[in-house]
Amino acid sequence: MAKDHRAGSKVRGDKLPAILMASHLIEGDTVFLGKAGWTRDPSAARIAHDAETAAAMEAEGKAAAAANAVIDPYLVPVDLSEAGLPIARHFRDAMRQKGPSVHPDMGKQAEFAPLE
Amino acid sequence: MTLITEDGAAEDRFTRADTLEAALAAEGPVLVPLPVAADYLAKRPGAETGISVPGATSIDEIRPHLAAAALVAVEFPGFSDGRGFSLARKIRREGFAGTLRASGPLIADQFADALACGFTEVELPETMANRQPVQQWLAAKETMSVHYQTGYGTEPSILQQRLTARKGATR
Amino acid sequence: MYRYDEFDERFVRERVAQFRGQVERRIDGSLSEDEFKPLRLKNGLYLQLHAYMLRIAVPYGTLNSRQLRQLAHIAETYDKGYGHFTTRQNLQFNWPKLKDVPDILGLLADVEMHCIQTSGNCIRNVTSDQFAGVAADEVEDPRPTAELIRQWSSLHPEFVWLPRKFKIAVTGASHDRAAIKVHDIGLKLKRDAAGAVGYEVIVGGGLGRTPMIGKVIREFLPKDELLAYLEAVMRVYNSEGRRDNKFKARVKILVHETGEEEFRARVEEEYARLDGPTINAPDEEVRRIAAYFAPPAYATLPETSAVLDAARAADPALDRFVAQNGFAHKQPGYIALTIALKEIGAVPGDMSAAQMRAFADLAETYSFDEFRVTHSQNLVLPHVRKDDVPAVFAALKAAGLASANAGLITDIIACPGLDYCALATAKSIPIAQAIAKTFADEKRQAAIGELPIKISGCINACGHHHVGAIGILGLEKGGRENYQITVGGDASEHAALGERLGPGIDAEDVPAAIEAIVETYLAEREGGESFIETVRRAGIEPFKAGFASFLDDRAPASEAAE
Repeated sequence: MAKDHRAGSKVRGDKLPAILMASHLIEGDTVFLGKAGWTRDPSAARIAHDAETAAAMEAEGKAAAAANAVIDPYLVPVDLSEAGLPIARHFRDAMRQKGPSVHPDMGKQAEFAPLE
Repeated sequence: MTLITEDGAAEDRFTRADTLEAALAAEGPVLVPLPVAADYLAKRPGAETGISVPGATSIDEIRPHLAAAALVAVEFPGFSDGRGFSLARKIRREGFAGTLRASGPLIADQFADALACGFTEVELPETMANRQPVQQWLAAKETMSVHYQTGYGTEPSILQQRLTARKGATR
Repeated sequence: MYRYDEFDERFVRERVAQFRGQVERRIDGSLSEDEFKPLRLKNGLYLQLHAYMLRIAVPYGTLNSRQLRQLAHIAETYDKGYGHFTTRQNLQFNWPKLKDVPDILGLLADVEMHCIQTSGNCIRNVTSDQFAGVAADEVEDPRPTAELIRQWSSLHPEFVWLPRKFKIAVTGASHDRAAIKVHDIGLKLKRDAAGAVGYEVIVGGGLGRTPMIGKVIREFLPKDELLAYLEAVMRVYNSEGRRDNKFKARVKILVHETGEEEFRARVEEEYARLDGPTINAPDEEVRRIAAYFAPPAYATLPETSAVLDAARAADPALDRFVAQNGFAHKQPGYIALTIALKEIGAVPGDMSAAQMRAFADLAETYSFDEFRVTHSQNLVLPHVRKDDVPAVFAALKAAGLASANAGLITDIIACPGLDYCALATAKSIPIAQAIAKTFADEKRQAAIGELPIKISGCINACGHHHVGAIGILGLEKGGRENYQITVGGDASEHAALGERLGPGIDAEDVPAAIEAIVETYLAEREGGESFIETVRRAGIEPFKAGFASFLDDRAPASEAAE
């Protein structure tokens, strides 16, 4: 289930690179930790290439959850596209980056440029 | 610990004592775990005594001690563990008229239901009480003024109120 | 149908205000997410993959046109213009925002609706037969019982924090359309030898991780003792149900581990101790509720309609629609029509705001302003004059709601699955769409006949796959979506759990696998047997063999492709 593929607090090399994903408390929207604060745009997610950055991002996520801004932040292992954009390795996380496959007119895929 | 009754914050007169020795050494009314209750009451017959029971306890184990208890504290391991609500009903059904305490990390939204099931007070860990001050508990108690179930709480249920209203209308 | 009185109205309004306060206390930090989560779930609010999801109660599946128009309004104002009917006869919105939910609840209260206990570890929305009050094989209409239980179970002071969710279903008919044997409690209205009406009480059925068929714990419960007996069952479960393991917390596990006899004894012991006369609803109240479900003002009509017969003869599409989606009404000259939300390629159970409005008009004009939601994610117009069917059919066609496939292989139940659901392990809707496209040909569907396919995107079984004649369960295996196929499930009075045919397969292989299963059926079937009747008679082995040879045939092809 969901937790199985989540990176633990000790970020292992095979979980990198990674981005940090969460849900916005008030909106419910999927959000990503960006360069400055949270963003709804999957292509603006900050990418951790090393364990230290990933751990710092995870800590930032926990603090945001404690401050009642986001819910359930977790590190998502990604591959990088040719353009350097993060594409989630697990199909569940990839679905959250895009929106429902049965409704291409809804969710991130309808609002933001594709992750290519 | 913070103690909340339907009138607001209250002072806890009972001292918790987990062993017989500690209970005998304490001053004033003590609150002891169920297994210690019989021995303590044998040494201090007639003392104002509280008995602490986990929510999972069978009423058969509690029944023999009810007559001598001034207070029963039902321990909730977490707010989402609802066994204590049914245990409270069973304790009241035995005719216990003393103080019935819900002890544990309950939330304000459970206050009205706790009272309806027969509890008279809630004992809250300090960390919870800081986030959910007494005013929130008193406000939460008032949010629902009607309920369907007959036999819970002191107010007449919706079913009873309907009957009364119909009788009034036909008179 | 039931209408709120001043007490119901006040109750629901106060519940809206209560939830508004809970949202405020969540946002200001008084409530942590761990504390708020069960509170929002008890009001039907989930956090899913992309957004919150709000599940609205449709008690025992009954709605009127004003309510559906309000749902259309909410869909357009606060969501993305559509709603989704579920296997629990409820309606879900997939995109609401937390800050808007209290306002949505206010709009629902305006039309006597709510989201109370559509999720969480409490007594859930009570479900019933979609043909209640219509079917000829009914001892008594189950809806008054369901409404009484709705009221009694709403914010019950003692039973809001159960070990796990608790689902109650009621039927009044001899043919079980409410799946009472796979609910935590199933109630069947029946008569005893003296002709008195009461209930057969079944406890401990359920699907999910450990599917079980319920056990009869009371052969006959007098009707006026219902609430007290339910309270006894709930108190035993609340006190003794397992809380150490979420996967073993349903009452079915308690009944199973305690043993049927011992569980029955504990319930009866509790029942003997409680104060029945206080708890039970007074007869006057039972009669007050029942009066709302009195038959509508039917016209006196002949059984057959010359208008409809002539129209059917002239229009083969109408003829197919009536033959497939019509259900015999006990009132002469009337018919119940199933509206399958299963257009080929559509999302099962989805309905747009425009369709809601069009359908609301039809219910208002042609069905005494009433319609039903079925656990197959379809709708029913319960009381249509046969003379009016041609006009209704034309309006349904214009709204894209005239699929003549009720009960056929393309009338597929599917949970939202990984497209929306945070618990899902695999996609569910796209599988349903692919199967429906494979069997789109109407003649082929008709030749196959009744064949309920049910798809779940995880072990929790919201798609009821265990009781599908063909069941499909989507899991994750080695980082890929993988689908297990079962055959022989049945949710009716012949309740049975499906049996697995073999190893799981990839998503793209599912339609061909279903074709192979259908081929086995067509080869094995005798006379006019339906699929499930063939499985019952011939057993699972021919289907296992057919599935095995499908896997063998497919293996060289997929190897070549790699």
